[in-house]
Amino acid sequence: LDGPLLAKVLGLELNKDRDVERIHCSGVNTLDIEPVEGRYMLSGGSDGVIVLYDLENSSRQPYYTCKAVCSVGRSHPDVHKYSVETVQWYPHDTGMFTSSSFDKTLKVWDTNTLQIADVFNFEETVYSHHMSPVATKHCLVAVGTRGHKVQLCDLKSGSCSHILQGHRQEILAVSWSPRYEHILATASADSRAKLWDVRRASGCLITLDQHNGKKSQAAESANTAHNGKVNGLCFTSDGLHLLTVGTDNRMRLWNSSNGENTLVNYGKVYNDSRKGLKFTVSSGCSSEFVFVPYGSTIAVYTIYSGEQITMLKGHYKSVDCCVFQSNFQELYSGSRDCNILAWVPSLCDSVPDDDDE
Amino acid sequence: AYPLGGGRGLCALRPEGDPSVATRAPPQRPGVPGRERSQRKPISSGRGVFANEDGATRTSLPCAGRLFSWSRPSTAFYLFPAAQRSRDMSRKRHRLVPETFGLKRRRELGDVEADPLRGESGSARAAVAEIVRLFPRVLFEDALPPIALRSQVYSLVPDRTVADRQLKALQEQGEIRIVQLGFDLDAQGIMFTEDYKTRVLKACDGRPYAAAVQKFLASVLPACGDLSFQQDQMTQTFGFRDPEITQLVKAGVLTVRDAGSWWLAVPGAGRFIKYFVKGRQTVLSMVRKAKYRELLLSELLGRRAPALVRLGLAYHVHDLIGAQLVDCVSTTSGTLLRLPET
Repeated sequence: LDGPLLAKVLGLELNKDRDVERIHCSGVNTLDIEPVEGRYMLSGGSDGVIVLYDLENSSRQPYYTCKAVCSVGRSHPDVHKYSVETVQWYPHDTGMFTSSSFDKTLKVWDTNTLQIADVFNFEETVYSHHMSPVATKHCLVAVGTRGHKVQLCDLKSGSCSHILQGHRQEILAVSWSPRYEHILATASADSRAKLWDVRRASGCLITLDQHNGKKSQAAESANTAHNGKVNGLCFTSDGLHLLTVGTDNRMRLWNSSNGENTLVNYGKVYNDSRKGLKFTVSSGCSSEFVFVPYGSTIAVYTIYSGEQITMLKGHYKSVDCCVFQSNFQELYSGSRDCNILAWVPSLCDSVPDDDDE
Repeated sequence: AYPLGGGRGLCALRPEGDPSVATRAPPQRPGVPGRERSQRKPISSGRGVFANEDGATRTSLPCAGRLFSWSRPSTAFYLFPAAQRSRDMSRKRHRLVPETFGLKRRRELGDVEADPLRGESGSARAAVAEIVRLFPRVLFEDALPPIALRSQVYSLVPDRTVADRQLKALQEQGEIRIVQLGFDLDAQGIMFTEDYKTRVLKACDGRPYAAAVQKFLASVLPACGDLSFQQDQMTQTFGFRDPEITQLVKAGVLTVRDAGSWWLAVPGAGRFIKYFVKGRQTVLSMVRKAKYRELLLSELLGRRAPALVRLGLAYHVHDLIGAQLVDCVSTTSGTLLRLPET
């Protein structure tokens, strides 16, 4: 099954038959597809609006528009006041989702009634939040704000249970490991990316060092992951490697167990985003790909060899986020031009597949 | 005077020396040999080269390809569709690879064409040796070890990950030293260890810090191949005292990175960095001022180096290509350097 799936990802192109209904009136900052069925997608915009789309094609036609099922519009009493930076489905079912915004709040929503179940207030603007996709023993949401501390909020008790100290500037991205429910990665504007075990009382596990120098206590403070702000994080789907992007126009691949830089070189990955950059990896293919917003296009690289496969052109303004739907190998991307585009693999002519790739 | 027959119909019909004839067509210039030959023997296009009554038509393929390869390669593809197909990897892959791959395939074909800079496509070590050859030693009176930049290695070795890993291996073996050049955290200088040692010893000859530098070169350099050194490493493992470390900083062998942490440095590299930064900006502005912000590589290398470019145009062009400060586009007239949109 590797051959056809591989060809599908390589054949991603803008498909004129698939559209996503345009609801947002300002840039789309974040997208998330629910992990249970891969059917519903959430999007958050710069105007505070959150929209829920149904991606399934129930009509018999090839031409299909993904319709919005419901939305939290400007007229909703509990809508975010400022731009929504991150939305995420509750990992275990679609009854709940969380959203965080520049209005210094993290809101927990009930999907069926579209009412707020809980609100967490912070002292600084929230850049990013993430809930662990594999957690069974905890319900912690990691929140990265403009303050230097990473806050862990507990959904069960409704309060902030933990603070992780160690960064010296604002936290631009947080991500839980998809392999271990207690491992968290954080990226900050102070050029550092850190791996934490939330059960430990003392500081972080590892500070990633791009030069792979000697590990010592004194060196920890001087280690940098990038030569600029680190503003994006993504674990590979098996959780063994971590990808980081920085404003030094580089993307780096790290071994997540010992923090070693694997030295895979992707070349210049243009990045001038002043807040977080949301990129994604493919899952379910034989060779893994990473999709990174690159200006107004999306660059596709193979993860372990660093080769650039293609650039997906279609948006008019800078792309802010993208998500991968693993069931059908489709990519959805949101951009500042208020559009969400669907990149669907084109069906190639059926050729006997005996290639010796 | 009789008319000359054959393909030279454009030639004068009168003997050359007659000045009174005003309407004489100018004598044909010593023609481009390929073109002339083609006018005499037009090669049939329809059946392609594989229609062979005898072996002769098949042998005409290679010379026909040579005929057109530099003058009009596009017409070669049109006239010899068989030639195009046989050059492709395989007919099956031609249909399987989707359109999005077309870009990559064309780029691969383009790399094969003559490129004055891309002679080496071998190992990182060969690339470093090649750049070291381009380095102008005379300019620095041989006091500075020849420095190559990491971006220049990327321009000679096509796969960056492989280049990085090979450089790391060379660093671990102790053959090269990598040094952080101060002006840009991304730019790293690479030198052969032997060159570095000899030059540093020569530079500190007879100075008060000579003893500390010799101890450093003898004990620390072979043991630790990293770019930076920490306080506890220097004092405990290698037995350096604080005054000795201060002497090393004064000698220019170490530069301060953080509290208790130092980068390895090249003494006297300030002049090199100044020339390099100015030269890089100048070469980049040469491309920027060109029409449409793009320049053919051959044209750029053929120009006279401006006064600010002391290290040589080829040296800077390698660096610009490898650092992706210009995009390399392969065209039918050679490689084109274009400023990126972003």
